[in-house]
Amino acid sequence: MSATQTVTKEVTALDQPWNVVVHDDPVNLMDYVTWVFMKVLGHPRPRAEKLMMEVHQSGRSVVWTGEREMAEHYTQQLQAFQLKTTMEKAEG
Amino acid sequence: MKAAPTLDGRLRIDVETELDVVVLKSVIGDAAPETGSLAEKLADGMAAEVDADWREFVLPDLRELYDAQVATVARALADLSPGTAIFVARDEAESWYGAFNQARLALEERYRLSHKDGAPITPERRTAVIRSHFYQVIQGMLLGFLMKE
Repeated sequence: MSATQTVTKEVTALDQPWNVVVHDDPVNLMDYVTWVFMKVLGHPRPRAEKLMMEVHQSGRSVVWTGEREMAEHYTQQLQAFQLKTTMEKAEG
Repeated sequence: MKAAPTLDGRLRIDVETELDVVVLKSVIGDAAPETGSLAEKLADGMAAEVDADWREFVLPDLRELYDAQVATVARALADLSPGTAIFVARDEAESWYGAFNQARLALEERYRLSHKDGAPITPERRTAVIRSHFYQVIQGMLLGFLMKE
């Protein structure tokens, strides 16, 4: 009998997409939020402004959807710019 | 106090009176949250699968970043006196903006400035509104003159 034991673990890829959600707050300036979306997410100004207005009017906006690792990266960056940001699993 | 962009791409803030010194330095105290940490508040509501790791691995870095922003401004204001000028360079603008933003977020939490709930306008609340507006003007200049391309 071998002195060592081999344990095999099956790793399932977590390919379910994740949403990065930015929430409204009464402090961050609209122009600043637009600038952050352009800088962090690389959105062109019209797209960034549209998302900013969605945050402002609806209270939240899904600003990016994709794999978990990138969602974590974007969420951390947006929080670094002091935007209230959370992650949630995308439906479907 | 006067503030304006310079030809070499910085923001110059001229401090003229003792009151200017007091108003500018108040950002340091105002940036401290009433309760908890800003990093935790901004991450509140994360999906359960992410939340524990986020608190352990990400929030400490964010706390460090926010503290560094306030420290940058505190250093610049340390020897402030009437007749002196502060110069904010482009590469420090995000730190300055962040420190003033922390102050406005904390004032909002402490005094509920945006709430139209009929809360009495106390002297403390009134001065908090004035400081928050002043910080917002500085933020607008930082964003407009230094942070945008």
